[in-house]
Amino acid sequence: MKKVIALLLALMLMLGLVACGGGEETTEPEGGEGGESTAEPYKAALLLNGTLGDKSFYDSANEGLTRLRDELGADVFDFKVEQMGGTTADEPKWEPTLLDYCDSGEYDVIIMGTWQMAAPLAKAAAEYPDQKFMFFDEAFDFAGNGNPSNIYNILYKQNEDSYLVGAAAAMMTTDETLEKVNPDDAVIGFLGGMDNAVINDFLLGYIQGAKDTNPDIKIAIGWVGDFVNSATGKDIAMAQYQNGVDVGYNVAGNAGLGQIEAAKEMDKYAFGVDSDQAALLPDFADWIPTSALKNVGNSLYAAIKEDMAGTLAYGTTVTYGFAEGGVALVKDAHYEEMVPENIRTTLEELEQKIVNGEITVMTSSNMTTEEIDEIKASVALQ
Amino acid sequence: MLSTIFTADFFAAILRATTPILFATLAAAIAAKSGIINMALEGMMLFAALFGVIFSSLTQSWAGGLLITMALGGLLGLILAFFVLNLKTDEILAAIAINLVATGGTVLLMLAFSGDRGTSISIQSVPAPKLDIPFLQDVPVLGSLLCGHNVMTYLALIAVVVVHIFLYKTPLGLKIRAVGENKNAAESVGISSRRIQYIALILSGILVAMGGFFMSGGYMSMFTKDMAAGRGYIALAASSMGANTPIGGFLVAVLFGIAQAFANVMQLSTIPYELIQMVPYLTTLIGLGIYSYSRMKKRQKAGGK
Repeated sequence: MKKVIALLLALMLMLGLVACGGGEETTEPEGGEGGESTAEPYKAALLLNGTLGDKSFYDSANEGLTRLRDELGADVFDFKVEQMGGTTADEPKWEPTLLDYCDSGEYDVIIMGTWQMAAPLAKAAAEYPDQKFMFFDEAFDFAGNGNPSNIYNILYKQNEDSYLVGAAAAMMTTDETLEKVNPDDAVIGFLGGMDNAVINDFLLGYIQGAKDTNPDIKIAIGWVGDFVNSATGKDIAMAQYQNGVDVGYNVAGNAGLGQIEAAKEMDKYAFGVDSDQAALLPDFADWIPTSALKNVGNSLYAAIKEDMAGTLAYGTTVTYGFAEGGVALVKDAHYEEMVPENIRTTLEELEQKIVNGEITVMTSSNMTTEEIDEIKASVALQ
Repeated sequence: MLSTIFTADFFAAILRATTPILFATLAAAIAAKSGIINMALEGMMLFAALFGVIFSSLTQSWAGGLLITMALGGLLGLILAFFVLNLKTDEILAAIAINLVATGGTVLLMLAFSGDRGTSISIQSVPAPKLDIPFLQDVPVLGSLLCGHNVMTYLALIAVVVVHIFLYKTPLGLKIRAVGENKNAAESVGISSRRIQYIALILSGILVAMGGFFMSGGYMSMFTKDMAAGRGYIALAASSMGANTPIGGFLVAVLFGIAQAFANVMQLSTIPYELIQMVPYLTTLIGLGIYSYSRMKKRQKAGGK
């Protein structure tokens, strides 16, 4: 008797599941393929393994989606932001949240970024093959995860805007009209967080930009060893500035703020990174000529537009550079005030050359450590 | 590279790197003398770094900010003492809890006060000033070496002497050492070991808070997330290498400061930075080796007589 009941129960459960699944299947095509005017809007979910208000990365993503909604109207495109929190205590809920969103089936695309979301994404993409995903600022290992065809992977050419920063730094350090520099020697600085592939991508672009501008340039390269030790970052930058460096570039997260403090104390220059640091740090703006931006919002804006037109190549990795608006230098009134006009004109030309392919910027993604070390050594101080 | 080492700038860099570690080392020494390992130094320093920014901004005076930060540091010491002494929590576990709370808690507090998560830049804090000593600053060489450092650096150096006198020349210091040496013996002569350990941990919190204050109000002029960056742990090691004495801890902290400043300058050369990063730790190890070797020799000599 018990067995019969158990079997019946199991059957009922199965029927229930089939019914539910069937229900979803019948409603989905309506939303997906219905006429443009009457259909549900294209809906995106932005899952942040952090929170809004970082004045950088996540705010930029939110801004891009907001811009798209304002432009197209909420009846054509709508999105929801889920702030999952970025601390270790929040980490256990990232994957369940992602799976919940997949399970709801409400969203045309689910967007997330950074290396920490790579593993949850790989799992979700395999479990929900019909759900589309966008993944930014970290290379997704397609081959290692069974080549999922439902992920669109967005990377940024940080080497391209770093090229411009390098060129700008090399020109500024010998510019006689600038008060904060000693034009007699051509020495610039770089403060990195950790010696890894992404930071080296910044560094290689910076070196190439500087060397193309001035073949005799010397670059003091410093590493903090982490992304939080701002005080040590400051000490390393102080040592650089005290030894002839006039212009620096910080790519070290919060530790990089040490370089900006050192620049103020020594009355030298420090270029900003990732977000508009001159605007973010008003007390230090006079020492930050401009910042190299990573524009997550622009890339999402472009990718979703492409997806709505049905031409987005899911299953591939696309790198957004100047041409695609994925990276940029901040060019506002502050920049015009800080950087002499002839330098700005040259930077404009260089940017054009990068966009039309006349200049190819080195990238750490296709180079060995030995090759990178050789390039670093070619600009070393001593 | 030699030209960059024998300069006033380099000397200043040594003192900058030494100051926060020195405060924390003294804090570790007092706690250790009372028989408790204060591993919460890291979290306490981080909290204090944020408190310093908040309260120097609210009082619009660095001294006001420092005093409140020290009081709150003492409160953190009290909390640790309460967990360890009253609730009988394992001292290491309680410390780890404080350190973990500090990482997230400082960001939460910063968000509440400034609306930012990464840095406290929008809080208009008042960092401790640099001090020029009249007359001395006009003396050639010596003036440029000894003047122009942060007030907190001078306070750290003074604190070494004060803590030394406190531990070895005052009745309370004697009681702290007695409790640390042998709790039961101390109790047997009527000393309340719990009261003494409470006092020691509160003093430890006050001292490390001064180091934290310097981090965001002298070393840097703002608070940045996780800016203590292991200094609390380094201090714990420094104090233990210095046999938990103020003078010994001071020497190790200075040695560490020298090695750190040296490592920063070495980055200007082509030496691989992975090697350079080892310098501060390697130096401390070698220093420790020399120290224990000389002690061993001394003991052998004494034994031979």
